[in-house]
Amino acid sequence: MAYEIVSARIGTPGAPYVVRPGINVEALLAAGFIKVSTPKPAKNAKTKTDTNEKE
Amino acid sequence: MATSIALSNPVVTVNSVDLTDQTTAAVFTQRYDQLEKTAFGTGSRIYTSGLGNHELTLTLYMSYAANETYATLKDLVGTETTVVVKPAAGSESATNPGFTLTGAYLTELPVINMTLGELATCDITFVGGVYSVDTTA
Repeated sequence: MAYEIVSARIGTPGAPYVVRPGINVEALLAAGFIKVSTPKPAKNAKTKTDTNEKE
Repeated sequence: MATSIALSNPVVTVNSVDLTDQTTAAVFTQRYDQLEKTAFGTGSRIYTSGLGNHELTLTLYMSYAANETYATLKDLVGTETTVVVKPAAGSESATNPGFTLTGAYLTELPVINMTLGELATCDITFVGGVYSVDTTA
């Protein structure tokens, strides 16, 4: 599961939080220091349409 | 040359949370159980080291605001976590080692310790855990 930093006491807000060994993640989540990051939906692949039709 | 530092300014991290600006004292003790191995024919008692039994005691201002002392510690009581103390700000190095206890246990948290006319403080002690020293950035 991926986490995102909320509080500046942990690091840069908005940056991903990397869990180190021994860290109590539940306590950080409960106190609002970090949150579960929701991955952005992947963008659809762009398909080029050739509008330059030859006559 | 003097080897003591008059103005101590260590960096204290509890469960990844930087509590340096709430900390007024830190005592980090590396300790191993003392096992006696004296035998007949020995003129003095001699010992060997047993299990590690390390300890970190912190004195903190007790703030109940969001992301402060109480919020950091309230869910750690009765659990294990990682605590790091280094002598000064900046990256870990040979001259600024990051003393670490991984899996340290917080037995108790004095949630109220108030005296009229004084700022509220609390003393907490992390015991046990694996001791290591980080000297690389």
